[in-house]
Amino acid sequence: MKIFAAYDWGLIWENRTALLDGLLVALEVSAVALVLSVGVGLILALLRMSAPPLSWLAALYVNIFRGVPALVSVIWVYFGLSLVIGVQFSTFQAGVIALTLLYSAFIAEIYRAALTAIPKGQREAGLALGMHPVRVFVSVTLPQATKIAIPNIGSMFIGMVKDTSTFTVIGLTEVVRVTQNLNSTYFQPFVLYTAAAALYVAVAFLIDFLFRAVEKVMESPPRGRVAQAITGRKRRRIGALIERVSASQSA
Amino acid sequence: MDKQQPAAVAMADEVTGIPGLDAAAPRPGTGAVVEMTGIRKSFGDHEVLCGVDLTVEAGEHVVIFGPSGSGKSTLLRTINLLEEPTAGSLKVLGREYGHGKDPDVPRGKPVELRRAVGMVFQQFNLFPHLTALENITLPLKRVAKIKGREAEERAAHALRAVGLLRHAAHFPREMSGGQQQRVAIARALSLDPKVMLFDEPTSALDPELVGEVLAVMRKVAESGMTMVVVTHELGFAREIGDLSVFMEDGAIVESGPRGFFDNCQNPRTKKFISAVL
Repeated sequence: MKIFAAYDWGLIWENRTALLDGLLVALEVSAVALVLSVGVGLILALLRMSAPPLSWLAALYVNIFRGVPALVSVIWVYFGLSLVIGVQFSTFQAGVIALTLLYSAFIAEIYRAALTAIPKGQREAGLALGMHPVRVFVSVTLPQATKIAIPNIGSMFIGMVKDTSTFTVIGLTEVVRVTQNLNSTYFQPFVLYTAAAALYVAVAFLIDFLFRAVEKVMESPPRGRVAQAITGRKRRRIGALIERVSASQSA
Repeated sequence: MDKQQPAAVAMADEVTGIPGLDAAAPRPGTGAVVEMTGIRKSFGDHEVLCGVDLTVEAGEHVVIFGPSGSGKSTLLRTINLLEEPTAGSLKVLGREYGHGKDPDVPRGKPVELRRAVGMVFQQFNLFPHLTALENITLPLKRVAKIKGREAEERAAHALRAVGLLRHAAHFPREMSGGQQQRVAIARALSLDPKVMLFDEPTSALDPELVGEVLAVMRKVAESGMTMVVVTHELGFAREIGDLSVFMEDGAIVESGPRGFFDNCQNPRTKKFISAVL
């Protein structure tokens, strides 16, 4: 006796456009939120490392928003916050804000650890060369800290994409919302949610690959084919410079 | 990918003169570059400098030595305000940067002071994410406001001067400690400082690499650069020191001109010198 219809795996291929559109929405929300979270997180990290009143506020923020689940965050932003400030966010905007609130808190901690890991001699050397403290931070401390932070930021990005799955509650047409819609038509939950899971896993692999590539490029010296291609012109220019200056030596 | 052999290439580059610096450095007898009077520095309750007076004349090579914890590095670091003195007057090129005697006299900004003062650190402190060349072009572009190509050209000449032109595209981790320290010296020199500070520049080096760094410092000294050197290399100190300063417990015990190592009077100084030399 067969209660359920046979698994129709062909459904996935038939509805590939809808599923991939959902994935694209999830990636867009996450990517925008990632950029904002890095910016806000960096500012929070600096505040947390500054003098007491500000550092306390930053610590309070970090500890609150690290503890809030994405589902609660997005409902709060979409239905609650918009009432208070009188602006109705789109589902996309609400998703970006919800993720940024949470992940800026995590990234603040990642950056704080990374900035603390830079030896103080680096800053002193920059200052001793007559550079403005802000310039020392931008050109000396921050690039080195970012290199340390990159792998962890990659993990955060994977987490963000997964957290978009809860945004179905506000009606954002991301992967889970698309899957739910398809399921109400076909009633094939195993097939459709397997497809959804596969998409999330595929994206996790993709993000890992991308961040590894970035890590390699940021090595000193840069490693890998991407880095070779990016730095090729510079290498040739410096090579020519060395030859020219070394030739002028004999004069 | 071209695999370079750093050791072999290093031999090809000779240490050459420091171009452009002879003109920039103040000549002997043109007045004091650094004047410190009554410099005090405390960390909490602990006073590490207890009222130090030191004057560095233009073109003079001052060497400071003494036991660990004597305050010699702290004294050096107050000259470019990496350590803010708690009290006392710090004048560099006639401008007040310390507390001074008259509170109405406007104090110079640390950024301005540091443009006239170069510094070399014990731990080299090259920027590890930048190549040797970029380590030099960064301050040239950001401090001296020299444009890209010209900055690279100047940086290349600075590297040539310390015998490391062939290492221009190398990152610090690809170089030996001695080579890194030579790049650090080139980096500081490329900004045409009026005085160079050396904070135990050979203390972190393998013994066999000390010589190459001292050779470069000797060249810098010969170019007429005003120098203040904190060092444990008393042989080198004796050789280049126009003024030798022995410090202990945050104060200058004794100082003197050339011949100090043979003519010093204080028994503590004599004991220290005989123990080290």
